[in-house]
Amino acid sequence: MTILFAGLAAVLVVSSLMVILHKNPVTSALFLVLAFCSLAGIYLTLQAEFIGMVQVIVYAGAIMVLFLFVIMYLNLGRDVETGIQIAVRRGLGWIVGAVLLAEGAVMFGRRWGLGPVTPGPSRPPVGNTQALGQILYSRYLFPFEVTSMVLLVAMVGAIVITRGQERARRESMGTRAGARGPGGRPPRTHAEEAVAEPGLAPAAAGEPEEQASVAGSARP
Amino acid sequence: MNFPLLWIIPALPLAAVGLNLLIGDRLGKRGTAWLACGAVGLAFAFAVRAVLRLAGLPEADRTIVENAYTWMRVGDFSASVAFLLDPLSAVMCLVVTGVGFLIHVYSVGYMAHDPSFRRFFLYLNLFMFAMLTLVLADNFLLMFVGWEGVGLCSYLLIGFWYERPSAAEAGKKAFVMNRIGDFGFILGMLLLFAWAGSLQYDRLFAIAPHVFVKGAAAITIATLLLFLGATGKSAQIPLYTWLPDAMEGPTPVSALIHAATMVTAGVYMVARCHPLFLLAPASLETVAVVGAATALFAATIGLAQNDIKRVLAYSTVSQLGYMFMACGVGAFTAGIFHLMTHAFFKALLFLGAGSVIHALSDEQDLRRMGGLAGKLPWTHGTMLVATLAIAGIPPLAGFFSKDEILSRAFASGHSGVWLVGLVGAALTAFYMFRLYILAFRGPSRLSHEAEHHLHESPPSMIIPLVVLAALSAVGGLVGQPMQEGGHLFERWMRPVFEGAGGEAAAPLSPRTEWTLIALSVAAAALGIYGAYRTYLVEPGLAARLRERLRAFHQAVLHKYWIDELYDALVVAPVYHLSQRLWRFWDERIVDGMVNGVAYTFEGVSALLRLFQTGFVGTYALFFTLGVLVILIELGRR
Amino acid sequence: MSGVPFLLPVDWWALGAVIALSGGAMALLLLEFLPHGPESNRAALVSLVTLLAAGASVFVVRDSRRALFDGMFVHDGITVFFTFLFCAIGILSVLLSWDYVKRTRINRTEYYALLLSSTLGMVIMAGSNDLITVFLGLELMSLALYVLVGFRRSHLESNEASLKYFLLGAFASGFLLYGIALLYGATGTTNLQKMTAVMSDSPMLENPLFVVGALLLVVGLGFKVSAVPFHMWTPDAYEGAPTSVTAFMSAGAKAAGFAALVRVGLSTLGAVRTDWVPVLSAIAILTMTVGNVTALLQNNVKRMLAYSSIAHAGYVLVAIVAGGRDGASAALFYLAVYSLMNLGAFGILTLLGRGTEERVLVSDLAGLGFRHPGLGIAMTVFMLALGGIPPTAGFMAKVYVFGVALKAGLVPLVIIGVLNSVVSVFYYLRITVAMYMEEPQAEPTHVSWAVPGALAVLAAVALTLWWGVQAHALLDQAQRSVLGGM
Repeated sequence: MTILFAGLAAVLVVSSLMVILHKNPVTSALFLVLAFCSLAGIYLTLQAEFIGMVQVIVYAGAIMVLFLFVIMYLNLGRDVETGIQIAVRRGLGWIVGAVLLAEGAVMFGRRWGLGPVTPGPSRPPVGNTQALGQILYSRYLFPFEVTSMVLLVAMVGAIVITRGQERARRESMGTRAGARGPGGRPPRTHAEEAVAEPGLAPAAAGEPEEQASVAGSARP
Repeated sequence: MNFPLLWIIPALPLAAVGLNLLIGDRLGKRGTAWLACGAVGLAFAFAVRAVLRLAGLPEADRTIVENAYTWMRVGDFSASVAFLLDPLSAVMCLVVTGVGFLIHVYSVGYMAHDPSFRRFFLYLNLFMFAMLTLVLADNFLLMFVGWEGVGLCSYLLIGFWYERPSAAEAGKKAFVMNRIGDFGFILGMLLLFAWAGSLQYDRLFAIAPHVFVKGAAAITIATLLLFLGATGKSAQIPLYTWLPDAMEGPTPVSALIHAATMVTAGVYMVARCHPLFLLAPASLETVAVVGAATALFAATIGLAQNDIKRVLAYSTVSQLGYMFMACGVGAFTAGIFHLMTHAFFKALLFLGAGSVIHALSDEQDLRRMGGLAGKLPWTHGTMLVATLAIAGIPPLAGFFSKDEILSRAFASGHSGVWLVGLVGAALTAFYMFRLYILAFRGPSRLSHEAEHHLHESPPSMIIPLVVLAALSAVGGLVGQPMQEGGHLFERWMRPVFEGAGGEAAAPLSPRTEWTLIALSVAAAALGIYGAYRTYLVEPGLAARLRERLRAFHQAVLHKYWIDELYDALVVAPVYHLSQRLWRFWDERIVDGMVNGVAYTFEGVSALLRLFQTGFVGTYALFFTLGVLVILIELGRR
Repeated sequence: MSGVPFLLPVDWWALGAVIALSGGAMALLLLEFLPHGPESNRAALVSLVTLLAAGASVFVVRDSRRALFDGMFVHDGITVFFTFLFCAIGILSVLLSWDYVKRTRINRTEYYALLLSSTLGMVIMAGSNDLITVFLGLELMSLALYVLVGFRRSHLESNEASLKYFLLGAFASGFLLYGIALLYGATGTTNLQKMTAVMSDSPMLENPLFVVGALLLVVGLGFKVSAVPFHMWTPDAYEGAPTSVTAFMSAGAKAAGFAALVRVGLSTLGAVRTDWVPVLSAIAILTMTVGNVTALLQNNVKRMLAYSSIAHAGYVLVAIVAGGRDGASAALFYLAVYSLMNLGAFGILTLLGRGTEERVLVSDLAGLGFRHPGLGIAMTVFMLALGGIPPTAGFMAKVYVFGVALKAGLVPLVIIGVLNSVVSVFYYLRITVAMYMEEPQAEPTHVSWAVPGALAVLAAVALTLWWGVQAHALLDQAQRSVLGGM
């Protein structure tokens, strides 16, 4: 047990370090996946199966995929990659894969081979997941609800930050156009929509305002 | 008990401020003037009424406390807006409202052509409110409210003509000096509260002897801090340099704030706290020494100044020194007595000077005056009375009070202080007559322009002069020396200062007393004669003296370079430190630091630039460093 | 089923503010479905009503004391006091934002929704009796603030400020969370009450887990109140944020951070005071001194006030160091007064400038006192109050804090504090001097008068003076709040 914990913790620490030390964002992200998986392993050793699974499914699965998606979309690794780098990358990929596989094997092997890790007496009368659900909706109801507020705010915030650029420009255009006539907000034209649209993607790429107008004028 | 209506005395000027703010623009100059003067006049009337009532009480319980309003009371911490009228605050209150009223009336004429007429009276009334709060307060906290208030008004009024850079600069300087003093005052106050548990005078003074051992370090520190506050407000060494610069303000302001009332607040405070100071002989000794030193020091500077108002300013500093000297030797009554007579004649001197300046179309340089006696008869006459009074010629007011201070100093065994005071008296007579002669006697040195416009001031300015002259002439008679059972003023003050150490000192034999009087009169006469010889009879003598005492003259002319010293020692380092720190934290200007003068920060700056990879990184680094330092600190424990 | 009942009995009134604020925030988001013009007041009105409702619901149960959700959230004097304070801050901020957001073209429903969410976070922080809830409240408040700071998307500085604040905030949250984890490890609970109980059973002073955990907790909260050396984000974030947001966060976020500190200090850390006094004293001294000295030479008023707010955090820390109920009530009193003065001062800045332009340099204020006497007087009052000059509330607050600290025997701290407050008056008065004693530049600052904003400033002036004269009313309140603690 202790050995398993020590191993997982070591992987966790090393991979977390790699996340911040590595230059290539894709590699960093992949190390993050590894870190999440090791964490999930630690949860499992603590008999928190549900959280361990959620950790893998939500963080390593959903969130990291989204992360990678964005990183690749932004195409940050623009510098020319030499053969060695590719080889290293491939090698690392293999290593990561292997470690993951090994971990999975160890985990499932343990589970299957040794039966329930938890000794009988301390086992809660209901299943781990049910217990969690119960406590979440009773004792921890308040933090649970507050968390939902936090998530809502995070979502609203993300939307405001990303779409704000586009909206702000449209609004300023609206007032500029509105100054000409008494109509307040003029009807949006397709051209303006087209102008607005590309502003989304390169938001982080320097001067979106200019880029957008260039793109807009390029289109009829 | 009859309701004495104490709170209404400060409330009246405040009400005038409010009215002025609300409807001042519709009142016009006349209305504003009536409002401002009326409020102060009424306050004076109420003050007289309250004092008469006080006088009607039997001597033992001549204190009226009026709790107007509880400010806050939490547990054992309480502060209330309560007013106290006892013989001490009664004298102060009468002086402030009385002299204040006269100066208000005078200002109507003096400021008649100023575009900011309304603003001027707004500030002036606000000042009256603050000053009366200070004087009538029943506890330290309320006194501090007034203390800060008068400081603020003084600052606003010194910088009244803010278009002049020198005025704005002077305002700033006064502010800085006063803040240093206030620091002491706040701290002293807080320490007293922490140790004795109350800020109310009577309770504090009752507790103090039980809490503090006489001469203990605690009470000495507390009283010294209070005295630091007093030196700031009352322009004593080392914080006196702001007062001469404060002359940038309008002349009525100089008369009211920087001669008659506000600057005496420090003396009043020391006198008010006499039970505390008496517990700390070392502090009292400091007060005496600082007072004597300032009296002499400022008098020597006054010898060579050419600006009429500056001469008076240094004279004020010097006279305030006398008051502190009196308090320091335990003769609080004499100090307050001198405070009162000084308020009369110094206000008169300033107002007279203002009248001269007014007549000469804003000329302040004594070297371009002369021979005004015939042209400004009223101003000349009243000024002569005031000059004789301050010089200490009997039977004018200044003679009695100054003589009492000197004899008390002598009687209490401070013969060194007495000697300094005597020399100071001679110097005072000398520079005051120098001023008088240069302005009113001798040949006219006026510019043609000024000669042309020369005119005597309007009645609204002359009448206050005459009233003050009368007071300067006879005001001292309440303190005739050598009367059975003490003189009138002393008997009035007795309930307050009873048992104060110096008061109880063995009375001098009549012969010693007469000798002392003769000596001080002789000193004054000597000073006057010297001035007369030097500036009127032998005009060349002044130049020869200047030549002979070149080094001294230069030192005095440049005010002993104290201003420059302060600049180099205090102002410049603080400024630089602030600049350094700002740059230190503000990476944007880190590059500019290379040009900085001090080398101490060079290393840090270089280090900082190493971390300049990005702002956030630097910040996070400092964050982490902070955590580490605390961790290490905790680990060491 | 297990022994824990499925639904705990809940006093809905005691949760009124929380419910009202979250409801209001969500209602605002839903309202977006209905079309409205760019000059609409709808969002501001809804938030105003929400904040008033929140305040009113707390008012109904202001005297009841109870713990909710198994001690996660307590409704006691401190909660009531701070909920009122946060609602007041919210109301004043909404009023200040009213026209400012229209003028700067950020009048969007989300702005107000985030403002309400942030206020909600503050209320939760004040009412939390459990470190988990403290953390969640803090995150809720901060997340909303990160976005609010960067709300002017077209404004480069605003973006920069937001990013900096976010990155450092996340950094600090990491410390806080780690601290909570360590404390949990040391005591086996996150509940403050239980933690205190555990500590009274076995002395925790020797347990490094506990000491480090508590330290990290203080660091995380110290970041929010911008205590030195965790303060460096403050000037940048305050300067870059829209001024109305600066006003809100300078008052609210700081008060919320201190609310949590007061609670922690009264219960858990209170037991190990002797260990903390030197560390917190050093932080307080540094905070006061660095804040004040750096503020001396600032030319941007927003930046100057940012440094000033750092310095004020130092004064409140003095009260926290003094500890006990007296210290706590002094901190409460000071925070209420400070929030008011700061909101007022920043509020005046929101009125300056035309359209999207910012006029926040000291030189922009030149001559303002004569062109707009009302504004000049208001600003002077705030500056005097911040400088601690009587008879404003700022003076009473300082007197009380220093008085309490003296009684606790912290003489050197008080001396440095007084010295600092003496120094601080210089830069506060610089603004007054600029307004009354300097000639305006070629193009004098335009004042965009707006009724709600002016109303907010007027209210702040009135309260600053009123509490200066009527200090005992507020102080009584603060004292009773602390005494009524659970």
